[in-house]
Amino acid sequence: MDKKKKINKSGWICAKCSCPVEEGPIKAMYLSGNFDVKLLRCPVCKNVLVPEDLALGQMLEVEKGLEDK
Amino acid sequence: MMEERIGVTKSVCPICLKTIEAYKVRNDENIYLVKKCSEHGEFRTILWRGEPHYEEWERPKTAAYPLNPFTEVSKGCPYDCGLCYDHRQHTCTALIEITDRCNLNCKFCFANAGGNNDPDIGTIKYYYQRILESSGTCNIQLSGGEPTLREDLGEIIKLGHNMGFEFIQLNTNGLKLKDLDFVKKLKSAGLNSVFLQFDGLDDSIYSTLRGQKILKDKLAAIENLEKIGIGTILVCTVVPGVNDSSLYDIVKFGLDHIPTVRGVHFQPVSYFGRIPTIPKDRDRITLPELMDKLSKQSEGIIKVTDFKPPGCENALCSFHANYVGMEGKLIHLGGDHNECICNIEKGEEGSRKTKAFVERNWSLGQDKLKEGKYSSFTQLLHIIKNNYFSISAMAFQDAWNLDIERLMDCCIHVVSKKGNLIPFCAYNLTSQHGKNLYREMRHFK
Repeated sequence: MDKKKKINKSGWICAKCSCPVEEGPIKAMYLSGNFDVKLLRCPVCKNVLVPEDLALGQMLEVEKGLEDK
Repeated sequence: MMEERIGVTKSVCPICLKTIEAYKVRNDENIYLVKKCSEHGEFRTILWRGEPHYEEWERPKTAAYPLNPFTEVSKGCPYDCGLCYDHRQHTCTALIEITDRCNLNCKFCFANAGGNNDPDIGTIKYYYQRILESSGTCNIQLSGGEPTLREDLGEIIKLGHNMGFEFIQLNTNGLKLKDLDFVKKLKSAGLNSVFLQFDGLDDSIYSTLRGQKILKDKLAAIENLEKIGIGTILVCTVVPGVNDSSLYDIVKFGLDHIPTVRGVHFQPVSYFGRIPTIPKDRDRITLPELMDKLSKQSEGIIKVTDFKPPGCENALCSFHANYVGMEGKLIHLGGDHNECICNIEKGEEGSRKTKAFVERNWSLGQDKLKEGKYSSFTQLLHIIKNNYFSISAMAFQDAWNLDIERLMDCCIHVVSKKGNLIPFCAYNLTSQHGKNLYREMRHFK
């Protein structure tokens, strides 16, 4: 029930598989480091959704935080 | 084994400091600097032993000439420093020596500290102004002598911030930092980071290098820095046969003290300032040997391929690797040195990135975990800000191994008593008999 609520809340459907995306664990790789995070993804094809506000917000902040010299 | 000449540069005679031609010579996996003074004969000094190979350790960049050079080019490097307009890198860190006094009498001391001479606060203001004029708002390191002996250290830190310097670091042996109230005062003055002399975890190391058993003082200093929250870099002078077999112990200790300890910085011993004897090759440890020892001592947790050459100073001057400490594991960041460095990078961009990197990662963030959308990313951001950990090394140059090509790319500049900016290794360059090019002579033994 909770899960369904979340799906409805996200409001996204996978264009390829037509199923609602749901939050799940993914491995984000940046500068060869692997980080475990949770993002919306398609349970079938595993495509991950990166919303614009995340890409321009916290994700950009992470990228800046990891900038090497 | 046949010797092969792989490069030519300029250096100085270690006896008379005259500029002379020097050749880089390969013999098997070792690279030597060979030079001949018409008066004092031939000198041959080890530069590099083993892998990664000397020729592969490169990161080409364009020259970033000084914004406002203070001196003319006349006699040629290293005799025109100020900076002169031929110098090829901006100031990343400007170092101000705020006292000659010291509360130790180390066997090795590049500053040959032990005098009794403090510039007054007006003179220090002039030094800050000269840095602004020459290089703009770079990172500042307050050094000495032992800078904590200044009663007005807090005032000096505040003055620097008020004049626009965002990042001020203290280069200290840490003895005074066992006084919690003193550390509190430094914090409230706005000190961003401590560059703490830390040669190992065994008192015999301190007896040999520093003349006293001071490990407990170092540990007390770190405890206070943790309590008050000032980011700390552990700085180890690496001397063959003294502490080169316990490098990873320092890293492990640093990791146990995340987030206060932000990293470990190794300085292979250099023979300038106050040194015990004329160095032989066996008295030197080179950058690839350091990388190899870190890898072996950590049983592969640290890999030689983790390390990269710098984007600011000359590639042959340093290495660094960045990690995030997460759940007891070290996650390496930043690719490896086998990745193709195909493009020539911009020197000024390397300088900008290094300044920003040091300011961000060598100080202690005050990041509190916030609730909200994308909580796992918020958590990741929090961990990166708090648990970033760097391992780096910088090989200074002395009168025996000086390569002027490297010196021209230097980004760490000391403010001289006249208010000029002198590349660190030129400022500290000392002949075999104690003659300096730039530093004022003191009680040389």
